[in-house]
Formats: sequence, structure tokens, C-alpha cells
Amino acid sequence: MNASIIDPLQGDFPEVIEEYLEHGVMKCIAFNRRGTLLAAGCSDGSCVIWDFETRGIAKELRDKDCVAAITSVCWSKYGHRILVSSADKSLTLWDVVKGEKIARTTLPQTPLQARLHPGSSTPSICLACPFSSAPMIVDMVTGNTTVLPVSLSDTGNGVVPPSRNKFSDGSAPFSPTAACFNKYGDLVYVGNSKGEILIIDHKNVQIYGIVPIPGNAVIKNIVFSRNGQYLLTNSNDRTIRIYENLLPLKGGLKFLEESNHAGDEEDAFEKLKAVGSRCLALFREFQDSITKVHWKAPCFSGDGEWVVGGSASKGEHKIYIWDRAGHLVKILEGPKEALIDLAWHPVHPIVVSVSLTGLVYIWAKDYTENWSAFAPDFKELEENEEYVEREDEFDLMPETEKVKESDVNEDEEIDIVAVEKDSAFSDSDMSQGEICFLPADPSPDVPEPQDKFVGSTSKQGDSNQSASALSEEAGQSGRLTSHISTPLEAMDNSAAEDNGGTSSRRKRRSSELV
Amino acid sequence: MANSSNNSANTNPTPPYRPYRLKKILTNHTRAVSCVKFSKNGKLFASASLDKTLIVWSTETLTKLFSLIGHSDGVSDLAWSSDSTYICSASDDRTLRIWDARSAECVKTLKGHNGFVFCVNFNPQSNLIVSGSFDDTVRIWEVKTGKALHVIRAHSMPVTSVHFNRDGSLIVSGSHDGSCKIWDASTGACLKTLIDDKVPAVSFAKFSPNGKYILVATLDDTLKLWNYSTGKFLKIYSGHVNRVYCVTPTFSVTGEKYIVSGSEDHCIYLWDLQGKNMVQKLEGHTDTAISVTCHPTENMIVSAALDNDRSVRVWVQR
Repeated sequence: MNASIIDPLQGDFPEVIEEYLEHGVMKCIAFNRRGTLLAAGCSDGSCVIWDFETRGIAKELRDKDCVAAITSVCWSKYGHRILVSSADKSLTLWDVVKGEKIARTTLPQTPLQARLHPGSSTPSICLACPFSSAPMIVDMVTGNTTVLPVSLSDTGNGVVPPSRNKFSDGSAPFSPTAACFNKYGDLVYVGNSKGEILIIDHKNVQIYGIVPIPGNAVIKNIVFSRNGQYLLTNSNDRTIRIYENLLPLKGGLKFLEESNHAGDEEDAFEKLKAVGSRCLALFREFQDSITKVHWKAPCFSGDGEWVVGGSASKGEHKIYIWDRAGHLVKILEGPKEALIDLAWHPVHPIVVSVSLTGLVYIWAKDYTENWSAFAPDFKELEENEEYVEREDEFDLMPETEKVKESDVNEDEEIDIVAVEKDSAFSDSDMSQGEICFLPADPSPDVPEPQDKFVGSTSKQGDSNQSASALSEEAGQSGRLTSHISTPLEAMDNSAAEDNGGTSSRRKRRSSELV
Repeated sequence: MANSSNNSANTNPTPPYRPYRLKKILTNHTRAVSCVKFSKNGKLFASASLDKTLIVWSTETLTKLFSLIGHSDGVSDLAWSSDSTYICSASDDRTLRIWDARSAECVKTLKGHNGFVFCVNFNPQSNLIVSGSFDDTVRIWEVKTGKALHVIRAHSMPVTSVHFNRDGSLIVSGSHDGSCKIWDASTGACLKTLIDDKVPAVSFAKFSPNGKYILVATLDDTLKLWNYSTGKFLKIYSGHVNRVYCVTPTFSVTGEKYIVSGSEDHCIYLWDLQGKNMVQKLEGHTDTAISVTCHPTENMIVSAALDNDRSVRVWVQR
């Protein structure tokens, strides 16, 4: 795309708050696949979809039955559906384009996190992690729930929803178990309170592998990178761990089934551990050795090159960014409000964070004017270069004629129609009709008195100097410029209309060139 | 009809050129017509005129469907949204108007420019509108609310042309100050300057359909096709006359690849894209042919001319 002319010298991670979005009190956020839309769940039960390009609200999903705070929001793979989990124990599945509710299920306990199956474009099954019981697979259409085992002794419990307060392994209540789908949704990775990652086939409700985490601290979050090659766990021992996914992306389940039959260890636990060691390999550990801070909402960047985690300390809004090699590259510090959710844009170096006050902050690179952009043949150098002049450069009459020769083959064939495939989205199936944006219908103007536009914005009064020559649309160069004097404060004159439909306000940095 | 490779064994010779001929003349405007554009689905085309109105025509019947009335001064440019439902027009009354192309109503008026608004375009997602004006600025507007998201002090003279690239991330602008610049659509920052000579003035700039090249027209009778990432031009097309007006050329990609442009000698020129040779000259207009547009799927060209002529002409291949 435009990668060829963007300055490659700037780092690929955000640096400053560019803007904030406000609409009620937002609690959790999720980008769609391409990062063109941002869905935000609010404390009043509605879900707002922001058009990330214009930073305006594209749609609002509101259900009169659901007025409790939203705990998580999740897009389907191509953006057709959104799943919302709420504090009133319900899960709601929405059709994005129509803005209508497709299904609603109530669970025995409030789901803290709900993820739609990532493999299909119109998924109806999802993974829900309730407040203090085992994660379950919920079929939104039928309402069936399938509880997943959280430890080896759980296997075989079947479909009975837990009505007890403790896990079968005797661990304390109120410890939500983290879980996530892998990239194509054939496996579920569960992180339990014993510090083990369980690799589960959710269709057959069978554990295929166990990966114990060094230290065995309770796992709070478990997240895959977008390309499915890295897995991140966030544990109670204040450490974020990155695992490399050794399974093939599409054939993972088959590999595990074969390993299950092939193993010959007597002890089931050892066998599962052996299989697990072939699925995940510990790659890196991140912690803040100085402040030993707990982490909140860690995740990968869109290309998996960076890891971002928020500090869970109250009263501070700090975001740590590491590269995958383990070096801390940046700490972003925001206003003194606790951070409750975090997301990295799938494509751009932009991070979005939600603060306790309900505002969504957008962090982006600090744009410095690229002065070389203003001169066509200016070439930026990274370091000083010795310039060796031509033999005849300073001659009064140089031997070669001073003609700017085009060293381009003018007979070369040019293709103006063919488009290169976007390598970042290699697995996009174009037949599915991905939703990248919601149609923007201009909201009709409020009728206003006719004479408003004359004289209010421009200092030059009525443009009657438009003699017939000037009102020609053509550019008769030279004659025109002296007539039109633009007032220097040309910014933001357009704030005339204020469609008071939404209560969203934005703060914006001046985009005026100096 | 594939173009043959440049081998000696020419098993597939390039088919002979099928010339365009005049099909119909539409004379509903009462003053010079400044712009014609097909909708993205090809079912309609619209024309803008100095008589302060726009007319929406049906491609199938080649008759007028309705007029869009509301501007208080001449209209210089128009653009269709990607789903062919909205038209945005740029006018000398310093405003832009968004019209609903189904109901013929003006839905929104965008105010803010301090001079004649000269050029306008939607982005492919059609949630943004970019406009260029005689107040030397380029403004990016949000379609939904009508607010100006960015005001870019882009040039030192009137902006003659603005266009989004294929994914809406870049904007190219051309101006009478002789420069052609590329901007980042989300931040308004200047990314590159393609041309920076004071003369000749740049009268038009537009991205190719795949967004890799920029077609630039300058007021020295020249059209150039630039590769903007290398900053070098690859093709030059000439033979027409363009010294005064902002004639808007376009790409014809429905059959063979051509560059089509109007000219101040009242004709419309077609050049072969690769060979740069002129393949046809369409005569008939009685004043400068200021604007041409190509149907998205069929081989049809619609052109418009200035005050002496005031007509919109439809040309099809034999």
C-alpha cells in the first residue's frame, strides 16, 4: 500500500495519546479483523461500534432486555456478528449489519469473557468463561452448554453444569479460569488455577495435552497472537509468558488425536504432559523486576512482533510494550485512572486502552513532520556520506549537456489494474464478504435560516468579485489569488452543525501544517 | 482479448482498434457543463453545471431522470459514493452538498471552505469526503456528521484536484502552484511531494485503479503517468491542447487500456496506455471538452463541454 513512502526510520509502536473517545462509560473493546471498526461494551448494556477511521459512531446495539454492564465483546471472523457478555449473566449475539439481536442465552453465572468460534463466518458457538466456574462451550442457537474440564480429574464430568462452589480439585472459588480458542477454533486452550495449560478438544470434551507453567501460579489470562503462532499467559506470579505454538495451524487436532493413541506411558498425566510438550514451547518471560506489578489485559500486536500489557495497579494507567525478544521498548503513561482493557490494532501501530472512567484512549505514533516529503528529489541520509563530485561538475561548460535525463524505460509495460494481495491477511476468504465498514449515511441537516452562510465564515463578504471570468471553473492562473485572502484561523470553521444525536465528544490535535 | 507478448511468434495479434462513435447529445443544461461522472454501478451518470444544478441521467435510456437544485452558484465537480446512493457536489458558493441520488434531496451541506470549492471525491469506504478549494486548503469531511476532520493548508494557490487511492489511505492533490502532493488520509500529514516546479500548473491528479500510479495533467498540454513511490514518471501523453482549463482525464480499462482526455481544441483524445500513441480523436463538441468519464464495465464514454456547447455527449464503440 503506502508502505513504500512512509518513513521506515520510526519505530513501529505507539508513543502518545492521539485522541480519546467518549460515549457513556465503556468497559471493554474489540477491533474487527481489519481494525476499521472498534466495538465497545458499555456499562448500560449497550454496545457501540466506532468507525475507527472517522473516529465517529457507526452503530449502536441496544437491547431493552439487557441493561447490565457489558463484561466482554467479541467479533466474528469477518465482522458479521458480535457476541456480548453481560453482568446479568447473559450472552447476546448480534447481527452487525442489521443491528438486530440474533440470540440471547442466560448462563448460571456471569460470564467474564466470551469468545465466538473463530473458524466460521457466522458462528453460533462460543466459549464463555464464567465468574467462578469452569469455562464452557455455549451454543447460542440451541442454548446448550458444554462444560470443559479444568484439570485432569475433571474429565468425564460431561454436561452437568457445576452447581458447587469449588472446583473438583479443591481450589478456591472466585478464581475465573482463563480460556481461548486457537486460530481456527478446533482446540481450546485453558489456563487453570494450578498453573497448567490444558489443550482440549471441545467437540469431544477431551484433554489432549497439559503444559505446566514453571512456578505453577494461577493463570489469569491466556491469549493467542493473530497468526496463531504464539500463545501468551498472564499468571499470578506477575509474569507474562510467551509460548511458541508447535502444532500445525490447521492440522493440530489430527496431530493430537494421533499422539493420544500413540503414547505408551502408563500415567495419564505424564502422557498428557509429553504430548503437551510437543504443542507448546516456552519462549520468553516478561516481568517488571523493579515494581513487580501485576499485569492486566496483555495481548500481542497485530503482527505478533510486540507484546503489550497494562499495569493492574490502581490509580495508574501504564502500558508496557516489549518486543518478542524480551526487551522492554516503551512504557506509555496515561492519566491517573486505572486501566481496565487494552487492545492493539490489527494492522497499524496503534494501541487502544480503556480507563476506569469509561474513556477509550487511542495511542499512536507521534507524528513529526517529514520535511523531506516536501521536496520531490530530497533524499534523507541516515548518516553523513562523503560526496565525491564528478570530474566536470564545476566546469563552466560541462561535457555532457545538463539535461535531466529520465533513466526510466519509457516503453515499459505498466499495469494499472492488477492489485497485489495484502500479505497481512493471507487467509482471508473473499467469498465471505468481509465487513470492513458500515455504510455511512449522512444524518440530515437541521434546516436553518437561509442567510447564515454569508458573512459568518469569511471576512471578504459576498463573493461578488466573481465576474464571469472567475466563476468559470477553470484555472486561469494568476488572476485569482489576490482576491481571495484566507483568514489565518481557517481551522474548525465547520463546527456549525452539531447533530446532538450522540453524546460523543472528541479531543483532537491540531492537524494544521505549520 | 489478451495483449500478445513481445515475442516474434505472434499467435494472438492485438485486435484492431474499434473506434468510438457518437451515440447521443444531451442538451439539458443552460450553462457550461463542468463535470460528468458515472456511478460506480454504471446505471446512472450525473453532470454538474455552472447553471447551479446537477442532472442525474439513466445510462440505459440516456434520458434525464431529475435535477438536483439547491446550490446558489455554479457547480464545479461531483463525486459518487461507492454504493451509488449519494452524490457530493462542489460549488462556487463555498459549500459542498451531499445529495441522495434516489430521492433527489439534498441531505447535507458541508460548510467551511473560504473560497470556491473546486474538486471533491469520496473515499472507497464512502465515510469520508475530500475537497479542494480556491482557499488553497484540502479538507477531509466525515460523511455521517458533516464535520471537517482535517483542514490541510496544502498549497499556495487554488487546489485543482483531489483523489483518494484504492484503500482510502492516501490523498493526492494538485494545484495551480505547480505542485502535486500526497497526504496521509488519517492524519493529514504530507507524505510526499511528487512535483514541485512552479510552472506549469498542475490541473489534475488521480490515482490509477490499483493505486500504484498517478495520472497528472499539467497546463502545458501534457499528461504524465507517475510511479509515485519512485517519484519518476513513466509515460507522457501529448497531442491535445490544455493550457487554461482543468480538463479531467480518466483511465479506460473496460477493454484495452487507454487514457481518455478532453482538450481545449474541442476534441476528445484517446491514447494507448502502453504505447502512448493517440488512437482516436472524437470530434463534435463546439467548445472545450472539459470532462470525460468511462462506464465501469461497458465501453462507453460520456463527455461534457463548456459554455459555447453546453452539451453532454455519449460515445460508444461501434
